[in-house]
Amino acid sequence: MVTPRTTRILTCALMLHGAAAGVSLSAARVDALLAADNRDVGNEGVALGQVLDDLAFLRKATIDMVGRIPTHAEILQYQQWPQTKRRAMLVDRLLKDDGFADRWTVFFADLLRIRSRAEGGNRLLAYVHQSIETGKPWDVMTRELIAASGSTGKAPSVGFLLADDSDPMEMAAATGQIFMGVRMACAQCHNHPFDKWRQKQFYELAGFFGKTRQIESRLSKKTYVTEGEEMKVLWPPERRKPKQRFAVAPKFPFPIEDSAVKPDYLKRLESLRAGELDKNKKQREADALDALIDSAGTTESPKAEPTALDVAREAKADIRKLNVQSDLYRRSKLRTELAQMVTHPQNRYFARNLVNRVWAELLGRGFYMPIDDYQGEVTHPKTVEHLCDEFIANGYDVRFLFRTILETAAYARAPLDAEAGNNARKASQAAFASGITRRMVSEVLYDSIVIAGHLQDYKWPKGANVREFERRVRVPLEPEPEALVPAEAEPEPGQPEMKMTTKPKPYDLEKVISLDFDKLAASDLEQDLGRMKAMSDQELEAKRMAEMDRKKKSLRRRYTYKTVTEEVDDNPRFSSSMRMATPAAPSHFLRVFGQPSRDGLGEFREHTPSMRQALMMLNGKATHEASRVGPYEPIHRLLTGEGRNLVKAVERAYLETLTRRPNADEQAEALVVLGQAPLEGMADLRWALLNSHEFRYLP
Amino acid sequence: MLQATGATILGMPVARLLAAHNKAAATKAEHVILFWNGGGMSHIDTWDPKPGRPVQGEFSAINTSADGIQISSIFPNLARQMHHCALVRSVVGSNGAHARATYELQTSYNVDPTLIHPGLGSIVVHEKDRIGDLPSFITINGQAPKPGYFGQSCAAYYVGEPGDTDPYLAFPAGIHEARGNERLDLLARMNARAIKQSGNAAFKATETAMKEAVALMKSPALKVFDLDKENPNTLARYGDTDFGRGALLARKLVETGVRFVQINRGGFDTHSNNFPAMENHGLEMDPALGALIEDLAVNGKLSSTLVLMLSEFGRTPRINNNAGRDHHASCFSCLIAGGGIKGGRVIGASDKDAMEPISRQVKPSDLHATVCHALGIDHEKEVYTSQDRPSMLIREGAEPIRELFV
Repeated sequence: MVTPRTTRILTCALMLHGAAAGVSLSAARVDALLAADNRDVGNEGVALGQVLDDLAFLRKATIDMVGRIPTHAEILQYQQWPQTKRRAMLVDRLLKDDGFADRWTVFFADLLRIRSRAEGGNRLLAYVHQSIETGKPWDVMTRELIAASGSTGKAPSVGFLLADDSDPMEMAAATGQIFMGVRMACAQCHNHPFDKWRQKQFYELAGFFGKTRQIESRLSKKTYVTEGEEMKVLWPPERRKPKQRFAVAPKFPFPIEDSAVKPDYLKRLESLRAGELDKNKKQREADALDALIDSAGTTESPKAEPTALDVAREAKADIRKLNVQSDLYRRSKLRTELAQMVTHPQNRYFARNLVNRVWAELLGRGFYMPIDDYQGEVTHPKTVEHLCDEFIANGYDVRFLFRTILETAAYARAPLDAEAGNNARKASQAAFASGITRRMVSEVLYDSIVIAGHLQDYKWPKGANVREFERRVRVPLEPEPEALVPAEAEPEPGQPEMKMTTKPKPYDLEKVISLDFDKLAASDLEQDLGRMKAMSDQELEAKRMAEMDRKKKSLRRRYTYKTVTEEVDDNPRFSSSMRMATPAAPSHFLRVFGQPSRDGLGEFREHTPSMRQALMMLNGKATHEASRVGPYEPIHRLLTGEGRNLVKAVERAYLETLTRRPNADEQAEALVVLGQAPLEGMADLRWALLNSHEFRYLP
Repeated sequence: MLQATGATILGMPVARLLAAHNKAAATKAEHVILFWNGGGMSHIDTWDPKPGRPVQGEFSAINTSADGIQISSIFPNLARQMHHCALVRSVVGSNGAHARATYELQTSYNVDPTLIHPGLGSIVVHEKDRIGDLPSFITINGQAPKPGYFGQSCAAYYVGEPGDTDPYLAFPAGIHEARGNERLDLLARMNARAIKQSGNAAFKATETAMKEAVALMKSPALKVFDLDKENPNTLARYGDTDFGRGALLARKLVETGVRFVQINRGGFDTHSNNFPAMENHGLEMDPALGALIEDLAVNGKLSSTLVLMLSEFGRTPRINNNAGRDHHASCFSCLIAGGGIKGGRVIGASDKDAMEPISRQVKPSDLHATVCHALGIDHEKEVYTSQDRPSMLIREGAEPIRELFV
């Protein structure tokens, strides 16, 4: 399976990074094991996909790692690197790129079903982003997600529980599907005839969340996750109409492998973590974890003074007002236990789940499908075992996983071309011997249009695009002081980016407003306290009535519609969609291209084409603006004036959109399109390139 | 209307195509207009008034054009069309929370963490051919449920504000027709080369979607979305509100061949101040509903167009301390008209305070099965999800309300 070229790459990778040597060996081992696994099932004679050429590899890896196509400068830089080293150098650079955390936050936000609209949603998003940025190990992150207590102000990972109202049944199903790759939810209602999970086991798993309580503070308008005394999860289930129901004893249904001899990967993990401890890293991590999980410090007593004075004040105020007996920040012993077992290095489900999900994201198919439905079998057992061992031994470092996969020969293979028959293609793909065509995920498609079209910055001088726009506005029939009411809803205070008015302006569906993750990741305790100006009941009631009255009046008002003309300098800039409040409004570009709504388990990214997608690409604002050639763009001077060089311009356009040079026929075709009006012609050419299949689908 | 738009498909006027279509299944419904009322609409203040009881609240019950059927006084116009409508007053849902109830009322299934079920509109367009260039399934003023395992091709086409021009249906500003067509030609050449080189099926599916998009952009049928040229009297009859315009647009869409139109409306979660809120709803909804049903009947489209109004549940007969009503899933009502049902009748009945049904209990999934039945779709048809798991179009155990049709 290892081609001469890959061997070359691996060798150079070894030469380049002493520290990373093990990584590349690991990738070579993956290819060898894939071949062995294929042999075991008699699948070794399949058609091999060609090895991607250097530029195609650059495109694919850049799209996968940082969520956009490479820029012209990046292409040139890459091509200046020594040919034998450039792929390894590229992977190195990409893993350090800021875009890495952006792109993979999207992946983890899908997995964890993060919704900006949910309480603490944006904080959770920023937390995940920061975790990826700083290389937080996946097991540490998982423990923080499962075991956190308190409010999102202090413990942002608590948003994970809040999203499901800390409901034990929901959380049990989520724990199985998200962290273990197992669908246990069916067992919530019945013993599934073909499933190994019994209903009792599901209830026992839910039991770990059975003492978790949510308390809403009227003062801070925040919800606190804390631990109560009473077990809410009872057995047998109510629908069996039992005479009596008992509190379940929480029990972890997944096997923790227990071997007499300590496996090698475990020894390596232990020595790695011990080393980290030496460097005091572990300590800092533990501190951070304590701060997140316990919030109230190390003491067990609910009455004791928490570490942060502000927290104490807030908590006390809440307790007084709401007459809450328990500590709002009480640490959950049960969930801490559960988190330890889920992330136990000898719980194979945990490592396999993420290995399989990442592999599926990068290779187009997992070792078991669907990726949340492990049934005891994988297509390539030796490969999976190896990847799991290495992932664990390397401290659940997700970057390690990416590096390993990106350096495999399997990743660098192109799909079979049209001549291969369907059966040959299927067999080859099943063996990971050729690439599976993947479409860019919606955020990547959007950002790639922005990069290809130089839309991050103004590409026109001020006033170059002044234009009259017609806009429909709603006008009240009864005369009013304010004569024109714009046909859009009022922005909600504080979070304008999260509202999508029901009456969007044209092209609002492609608008992106980025969140400030750094600000969101910082503790918002201050902000909490600022908002804690307590309102009396009367004040609250008065506010509510005023709101009702306003609604009533606006409902009774009669409107008509008029078209008004506005003059606008239409010179837009586009931001990255990676940091947008998420998920976007349902009719937004990102959603139309398959961003999930994240409101339930069992929902995946949708990659099927639709007419709406086609319309948004053919006639959308982003594509249109990306196509137009602005004077501030480098390509402009190749099209007009003294530096005019149309052949070079066409080459640049191809490089900037498709990361490759045009062949002779394409060059000739493009020159005809450029014709007598190169600026317009170039816009036409780029519009077509952006809409082409080749742009949207990875090499 | 159809003559006016002059829409043609493959050179055949839409009207004739529709006629041909209707002949094939003479008695069956061909289209659905679904009013989705988000929040849980009070049944007592709409279709199941209890005059003389303390639960009745602030509205009276009024007589209608259907003998012996009374509805709430907030619907005086609709009351004159009740001989075309049937009421089901004994719907029993199983979910009292918005998200879960919405899912059940829109898909017939309960929330399942392992599967997304398609909404009713997606089911219908999956089973029925498209007529003409317009999308088969259009949602107005809000989103329709997801297409689930039927995929994006069964997703609803979204119209924000009825009467607004969708910017995505025309070449961008500054790109005139001829230039736009040249661009499309260039793109077609590029993509043809890509398809020739790659065996990727996704390319072909993308190509199909693009062709549909271009056909829609160029379709004369698009005129139907323009309400500015409507007779002002017609607009006035529907009530010149977003809701009224939505209902008018729905009628025009159905007349142009669209299979399923969903009109969304929110604001029914009246935990407080139920009565002024419902009065406002009546002011907007009543003229629109009355005019829609009347026009469909006059134009002869009512028998082939099923009009249905759903909400996630009803509201408590008891009026709470905030003059509101809370969630009530154990008994609520549903309005149905057209599509081959016989109007002027009531199915099922609730007790004296509309707390529980006393006859002919109807499950939410029975309503979906009824829609399928009207359209000649086998609601028990087995379908396969994208993971090759078998499922049924409508949840197992659902039965159409057959007596509506005889």
